[in-house]
Amino acid sequence: MNDRHILTTENLSLSYGGFRAVDKVNLRVKRRTVHSVIGPNGAGKTSLFHCLTGGRRPTGGRILFKGEEITDRPAHARAASGMARSFQITSLFQNLTVRENLRLASQGRDGNGALVFWRSVNARKEHVEFADSIMERLGMVRKAAVAAGDLSHGHQRLLEVGMALCGKPELLLLDEPTAGMGVNDIPMMTDLIADLGKEYSVMLIEHNMGIVMAVSDTITVMSRGGVLVEGKPEEVRADPRVREAYLGEVA
Amino acid sequence: MLYLFQVLNGLGLGMIYFLISAGLTIIFGLLNFVNFAHGAFFMLGGYLCWSLTELTGSFWISLLAGPPVVALLAWAAEVTLIRRIYRLPHTFHILVTVGIALILQETTIMIWGPIGKSIPVPDGLQGIVTLWNFAYPTYRLFLIAFTALIGFALWYLLERTRFGGLVRAGSESTEMVALLGTNIHRLFARTFALGVGLAGLAGILSAPIRGIHPFMGPEVLGVAFVVVVIGGMGSFTGALLGGLLVGLVQSLMSTIWPEGASLMIYGTMAAVILLRPYGLFGRA
Amino acid sequence: MNATGEPRPVLKSPGHSGRRRDAFVSLCSGLPGGPTAVVAALLVLMPVVLPSRTMATEILIFAMATLACNLLLGYGGLLSFGQAIFFGSGAYLSSLVMMHGGFGLLPALLTAAVAGAILAALVGALAIRRTGIYFVMMTLAFNQTAYFIAYTLSDWTGGDNGLLDVPRPPLTLFGVTLADLSDATAYYVFTAVLFFLIFIAVRKVIASPFGSTLIAVRENEARAGALGYDTRNFKITAFALSGAVTAPAGALYAMLLNFAPLENIQLSMSENIVIMTVIGGTGSLLGSLLGAGSWVIISDILAEIWPRWLILTGGALILIVLYLPGGLWGGVESLMRRFRGGGTPHAPDGIPNNDGSTAQPME
Repeated sequence: MNDRHILTTENLSLSYGGFRAVDKVNLRVKRRTVHSVIGPNGAGKTSLFHCLTGGRRPTGGRILFKGEEITDRPAHARAASGMARSFQITSLFQNLTVRENLRLASQGRDGNGALVFWRSVNARKEHVEFADSIMERLGMVRKAAVAAGDLSHGHQRLLEVGMALCGKPELLLLDEPTAGMGVNDIPMMTDLIADLGKEYSVMLIEHNMGIVMAVSDTITVMSRGGVLVEGKPEEVRADPRVREAYLGEVA
Repeated sequence: MLYLFQVLNGLGLGMIYFLISAGLTIIFGLLNFVNFAHGAFFMLGGYLCWSLTELTGSFWISLLAGPPVVALLAWAAEVTLIRRIYRLPHTFHILVTVGIALILQETTIMIWGPIGKSIPVPDGLQGIVTLWNFAYPTYRLFLIAFTALIGFALWYLLERTRFGGLVRAGSESTEMVALLGTNIHRLFARTFALGVGLAGLAGILSAPIRGIHPFMGPEVLGVAFVVVVIGGMGSFTGALLGGLLVGLVQSLMSTIWPEGASLMIYGTMAAVILLRPYGLFGRA
Repeated sequence: MNATGEPRPVLKSPGHSGRRRDAFVSLCSGLPGGPTAVVAALLVLMPVVLPSRTMATEILIFAMATLACNLLLGYGGLLSFGQAIFFGSGAYLSSLVMMHGGFGLLPALLTAAVAGAILAALVGALAIRRTGIYFVMMTLAFNQTAYFIAYTLSDWTGGDNGLLDVPRPPLTLFGVTLADLSDATAYYVFTAVLFFLIFIAVRKVIASPFGSTLIAVRENEARAGALGYDTRNFKITAFALSGAVTAPAGALYAMLLNFAPLENIQLSMSENIVIMTVIGGTGSLLGSLLGAGSWVIISDILAEIWPRWLILTGGALILIVLYLPGGLWGGVESLMRRFRGGGTPHAPDGIPNNDGSTAQPME
């Protein structure tokens, strides 16, 4: 077992009827790197992501996390083992405050321990404190008491990533963290992701080429469900097959 | 022979359940709307049957005129109230239609009184049919044939006509149908009226067998829910097979354990949920 | 659905992205002494103001059931049409153990609570195998199941006639008789103390890690799962707690009437409990008392004049859902806010959606 890799997939496949959305994908995500998956629309990025997070059960192949097979584990069990995800479509507790969102995210580490109904929330100070530290990191302390639904879109995206961080994960799965973000907000997110790559293992699914090229250590290009090219950003940029795949999409 | 008798009874009962559930499911499929007043409209059908039969002396007139009246009421409810709440979550649909069901139930008691009524088997269908040495009530035989006919007509309407095409397309994507230039409001109102009209029709058809009383709505609603939980919401075939299954279970059980026949319906549902959480025909 | 702010599908129900700023309502933070003090004051006032102690007791019994329904609906987003299963079972079971097992008052109530919790956990575990409308339909179907079981077991339940001659034993603790409850006032005091304890307990539950997570599950189940919560366990626990409160309420009702009618376990009882919850206001515990109170008082007044008063209830339910989704208590609060000018955001209000989000009507 190679300890340098936190996440590996072996011939991971997902079919809908006859359609192979993910076709025998082999991935190896190194620890403490940013590994991005890109590809034209319909390349299977989102389906791959669903398999990794437990949203869909793969129809073939295996997923190994820290050397353990997790292929059939439900989402909450993956979270418990140190995997956290963000959502492409902002998925927050809209009516709750920023602070409560983060506190709940932090408390998620307790799993079923959070079933205690005879104690007060305040008995678990560590979650409030951790939430506050993440809030600081996101630069959102001033928004602590604002309802998540009332935040600007850019801040919602940040909070989205922040919630994933609250799980103290070893691997962060980020699904298009800049989706729908305004141009002005994007640098904020790019900096955050680059920064996260030093501490966590990050797997990033992203549409925005600029970000991917700027933050990634490794890039996997998908096309028609399979892996087309994998390499460092400059290698991928230079590869004619990648160009073709993207141009093909335009034509 | 006893079993053949009960199987036929079960088929008739099952087809009634099918009509009710099909209405529920057509409405849900297109409108994404949950109608908890469905049972109350079924009851209303039964009472209209009683009144129209009293008034005109003919069951046939009530069979002909009853469903349109129920459908018209449903149409009016759609246009004035229900149309405004489609956007809201299902919880709102449920609460509003529970309110409608209460109003219908209490109004029924106000008009027709709290005591149940029985409706005579219609002229021409009294008595029994004898085949070889097997005797079976004529009306029940008619019920099976007639509901099968209605089922076929419904299938034809949904699968072979422009209206049905719109309903099916709309179940997939409402926007698409709207883009094609269909008046979506009209389509919705008509579909709601159709679905509820089916419940009314079922209420009329079952009245001569099972009688009517003002509190039958929730009972019928419960059975319809069992059918759609088993067969899957939005599925015509599911409603048919689920309805027949429930009808047969209830009918066969009534010879073995009469008091527990109704209970067994729910036992069937619990078993299905445990073994196949998404129903017999449902997908995740 | 998309993340780019394009309009959502017009005729489908709003998903998680609906903005509901108005959903912030302070949990009566403006009241002196907070909700607990308000409830204490009301408990003292009710028997003085209301025409009879029996009526005041009845209000508290239904307020308990409503409180338990509110825990599911208002905080867990779980609309249950099966509450009568627990209410009715509590009535039957406590009566039977008192009549045949020689149980005293407190052991009988405790039996009801434990049985209610187990029963509710079972019903909940089965019903949450499906979500959304299927879940609601199944709670209703399970209520029908319970009704038919009670009807079939007429040797025990009395069937249609109900269970007659239910005793109301004195309050004893460790063999010492503390109070005779046959007097209406004494029984009211006993019920009021019990209600007060339950009210405080439910408030604690909501402020616990469990309660806050339950709200999170209601708000966004997928996200809660991704954060590491096994959301099923939270829903089942919510059911168990709800049953543990509803069943003793049923038991108290049987002792109040000295009779456990079949109606206790009928679907209409479940409907009534849901309606009281919604009319009073989901997501606020004082709303539950208000909902149960207005229901009992109005039914008492109207039942004499117009036996078909339930028509009004149906109409009220529709109007509340359309125009006052925070219920009567939500209305009271927005009035108070208008006078005081703002409150601190606390628990969200409004009728929750089954798919895990609260929503307000379009108006």
